[in-house]
Formats: sequence, structure tokens, C-alpha cells
Amino acid sequence: MHRRDFLQLAAMASASAATATDIPKYRVVSRFAPSPKPGMPGPFAGKAVRVHSEKSVDSATDRVDEGTVAEMLSRGMRSLTGAKNERDAWANFFDATDVVGIKVNCSGAPKIYSARPVVGGIVSNLIALGIPARNIYIYERFQDQLSSVRYDRSVPAGINIIAAETTRGSSASYDPNTYVETNFFGEDDTRSNMIRLVTERFTKIINVPNMKDHAASGVTGCLKNIAYGNFSNVARSHNREKTNTLSFIGTLAAVEPLRSRTVLQIMDGLRGVWHGGPFSEDPKFRFYPKTIVFGTDPVAIDRLLLDVIENKRKTEGALSIWDRSMDNVKPGRLDPHFGSFIREPGHIEYASHLGLGVYDLKQIAMTNIEV
Amino acid sequence: MMLLLAALLPALSVGPADADAVKLEVPKVEYRINEASASRSPWIDANGWQILRAPARRYYYDVPAASVALAAAEAFTYGAKADIHTDTGGAAIFQRMLQFLREIPERELPTMANIGVIDDGSEDTGELMNMLSRRNLLYRIVTAPDPHLDLNIRLGSKEFPKSEAADPSGLAQKIRAELTDEKRLLRVYGSEVVIARLVGTGDRVRIHLLNYANRPVTGLRVRVLGNYSNWQVAAYDKPDLKLEDFRIADGATEFTVPEMSTYAVIDLSRRSGSR
Repeated sequence: MHRRDFLQLAAMASASAATATDIPKYRVVSRFAPSPKPGMPGPFAGKAVRVHSEKSVDSATDRVDEGTVAEMLSRGMRSLTGAKNERDAWANFFDATDVVGIKVNCSGAPKIYSARPVVGGIVSNLIALGIPARNIYIYERFQDQLSSVRYDRSVPAGINIIAAETTRGSSASYDPNTYVETNFFGEDDTRSNMIRLVTERFTKIINVPNMKDHAASGVTGCLKNIAYGNFSNVARSHNREKTNTLSFIGTLAAVEPLRSRTVLQIMDGLRGVWHGGPFSEDPKFRFYPKTIVFGTDPVAIDRLLLDVIENKRKTEGALSIWDRSMDNVKPGRLDPHFGSFIREPGHIEYASHLGLGVYDLKQIAMTNIEV
Repeated sequence: MMLLLAALLPALSVGPADADAVKLEVPKVEYRINEASASRSPWIDANGWQILRAPARRYYYDVPAASVALAAAEAFTYGAKADIHTDTGGAAIFQRMLQFLREIPERELPTMANIGVIDDGSEDTGELMNMLSRRNLLYRIVTAPDPHLDLNIRLGSKEFPKSEAADPSGLAQKIRAELTDEKRLLRVYGSEVVIARLVGTGDRVRIHLLNYANRPVTGLRVRVLGNYSNWQVAAYDKPDLKLEDFRIADGATEFTVPEMSTYAVIDLSRRSGSR
């Protein structure tokens, strides 16, 4: 068992207004050695390809156009990799021997989730590389959310569609030997364990988050989906107005083998949520960026997401995601002029200091494609 | 030395309770969704602290069928002389649990604890013991500070003034911080509704696990200080249960109980051949 005990004060830098004393002590336990070339930030650090198509979603009916999404996937992957054709683009990351986990986001289901045409398109490309259906997994933490999306309607038979928690709170599908231990608020269960499929089955992971506001972390994109979506017992990081998402998200995302095996980020921004996230209870907080973003660097993509959500909130007259005033914290109210927590959008910069990607906008090369 | 009398089995009672018997609460989890609380943990009605406080007394439970197995297991775990009143449906469940308890190998082992509580008999100290039990902060009642324990507590002392008893949850947290998690003889991960009791000596220990929820707990991870290479498990309603991911490292033994309903007993020992 390889064990690392460390205090991540060094990563604080200017990530937020929080002080170094606010950073909990984390103990990371993992038997997996870091890969020399970890999937995050991967071969395309500081690079993001943003593909937009006005016809990708009908805003009036909420209907996604599958043909357009397929074209967006093709253009985005080819642009990211520089490959001449789609097959070569996907072959940059995967081959027929891989066992691939597709980490979807269903926390806003049944209204917003990693769209079926996006996930179906990813699966088609993996199968085209010769990866057997039995070696492809669509996965999420909670069964009720995952089941509500019905991915089975968009992928061939034999694809595994699996939730880690068939009943909420069940720890059976998590690896007891790979975890982050910390005591946030005096909770007795101080461990957050990694999903066992990640440690024992997958060779590669594709991260498919949405573009959403998040009441605790400011936004939820690549980092939040890969971190909180692959570990147990993470809701304990929030209590009253305080949330430890600032440091916990990056800390979790950096744990091996998750960091090494997450090789591709495809952010589904066809639909978005500008307030009330990660859920989507009120339709008035949904919007349609009609965008898919491609990359291997979760920090760079999330840095762009910060502006998408903040700008939309500004347009709507909502509280800034950077606001830290206690006067504007009103838990339980779905009012865009208030928050439920002091938000921690600084979690993205914090993750950059852990080596997960590039935060500085000046160093992010963004390619825009219109379909 | 407090001994756990494993052979002390609860009895099913059909008549009125003895006049001198102490009535215990229905053991259960109360999900108080709309009430503010000092912690995020669910509220557990558990009676272990009360039994430990007065082990010689006679107790009785008046419980519905859904709680009879847990009541019997709780009484057994803490060595209570207990009568259990229940409804018609509960009688068969009680008999099934009783049969299970009879098959558990008898052991007379002392309570293992990190903390000594000097019990003044007050409500405040009782509530403190209740809190310690619910958080699996292992204690035993002492009449004077015991230097063999990691921490001794007397409410009203300079270190633990009576005023702090007004916030039992906060006081339990303070005690936990002073003890430190590293020293804790036993930890439970993966559930907030399982209460553990640890008895034993250096070479062999017994862990009682009581699930206070009305649904099974899956993937429960248990950590016990000490290196124990042999194990035996008995779980109510799970005759074929086996421990998983058994591991000894860093001076501790860890294992997973893949699924338990109401009650499980795990015996660990250092010696080979005791499995």
C-alpha cells in the first residue's frame, strides 16, 4: 500500500479569500502510483475546443438534434487531436483493449444531465475502435438519478449502465483501500472512498459534465463531476454556510488512479443551469449554451465555465458566484439574489496548484468552432 | 472490571412488567427532517448507556414487531437482564433472534474503552454517555480516574465544566478531539446508524454491531486497533456472511461487513487456528 500523508497548504495561493487555516488536513490513501503521464491535465494541457451549434437544441421544445450533436462530437475531437478523421481522433486516447468508464452527470435529472445523444455518440465511437460493449460503462453515483435518464434507449445492448449506490448511503461499491480521510465538521465517518470500478475495472475514463451553477462550489463542471462523482460520503463537506469544496474537489480529483485514468473531458453544454444547481427544479433557471467543450485539461475547461455561468448570472441580475457576504446567504431559498453557501469558485484555481491543469486565461488556447 | 455476560439472554414477557424494572426506549433511528440539530447525524434512540450505568437492574422493553429483534440484540450486547414485551407478530421474530443469540459462542470478556467516565448519576452525565455511545467513542464507567485509559472525564471538573453539558454534542466533539481519532480502539465507516461495542483482551476481541435503522447496512467498514489475523462472524439473518477486504496495517485491523440487518458479532484473535 502506497500512502501519502500531506497537508496541502502550499496549494492555497490566491485561490480564494479563504485563509490557509481554512484548509482541512487531508490524508490520501491509495495503492496506485501516479502515472508518468496522468490523464489530467493530459496531452492537451491549457487547451479547449468549444463547438457551438445553434441547431443543436431547440430551446422551445428542449429537443436535442442527434445529427448535429454527432457532427459537433466529430469536429471537436478532430480539432482537439489534430486527427484527420474521427477514428484516429478517438484512437489518440483509446484502443480495443481498454475498459472505459463514462462518468455522466445526472444530478439535475430528469431535466438536465449528460445528454443521451452525447453519451450515445461517445459510445458509438468507442465501439468503432473495437472496444466490446461489455467493456464500456456509463456510471454515476446514485441509481435513482441514473435510472431516470434511460441511457439504455441511446446505446447498444450490452453496455453497462451502473450506479455506485443502488440505495443512498450504501458503501458496498466503493474501494475500502482507496480514500481521502478528513474531518470537516466533526462527522464520525471521516472517509470518502473511491468507486471500486475506477480502481479495479476501468483502464480509462471519459468525464461528461454539464454546464451548471453550483450553490456550494460556484460552478459544477469537469472537476466537480470527476471528484464528487467518484467518491462516497462527500456531502459532509458542506455545513450551514460553510463548504469545503475549495480544497476538497481538487484533492479528490488528484487521487490515483482517478487522475491518471481520466483521459478525456467532454463538457456537455447543450443545456445549462445558471442558478439552483446542481439541481434543476425550476425551469426558469435553465438556459441553452448549445455548446460542447473538448479537452484533457479539466481546469482550463472549468475556467471557461466560470465566465459562462457568471456572465449569464450577471445578465439575469443574480448574485455573483464570487460574492462572499454572509448577508447574501439564505439557505433553502431558490432566489438568485441569494446563495445557500459562501460559494467556492476558487476550487478551480486551487486544483491548478495541484497540477491538474492551467487556470490562467492568458495561457489557455481556445478554439471556437461553429457547426 | 465490567464483564459482559454473554449468556445473559433476554426473555419474552407476556404479563405486566416487574414493578422495579426500568423501561427502556424503543431502539430506533428517528429521522427528524424538519428539526434543527447540533449535527448532521440522525437521531438514534439507544439504551446501551443506561444499561451500562446500572447493569444489575432489571429492564424491560415494550416494542412493536419491527423493533423486537434490535431490542433483544441490544439487551444481549450490553448484558442486560431484560424482559421484552411485544405484539403477536413480534413473538416469532423474538424467537428467531433468541435462537441466533444462543448460537453465539459464549465469551466473558471485559469492556474495552478509551475513555473513563466518572458517573455521578446525573442526567447530564447520562446524556454524555448516550452521546459517546452514539458516536462510537468507547468508554467505561469508573469510580476514579483510570491511568490505563486515554482520557478520564468527570463532569464538573476544570477540564469538563458542567456548563458544557448544555451542549452534549459539542462536548462529545471536544472529548473526541482530546482523545484523537488515531487512538480510538474502534472506528466505524459507512454508516451513522450502527453502534458498536468492543469487549476483549489483548489477544482476542469481540465486536458487537447494532444497526438501529430499519433497513440493512451495506459495505460497513470497521477498524480495530491491534493486529488480529483470525476472524469469525455471526450475523442475524445472514448465516453465510463473510468479512471482506480484511487487512492488517499500521497497527490496526480493518474489514468490511458486506451486509448486515440488525446485529452482527465479530470475533477477532491473534492466534492461529482459532477460526
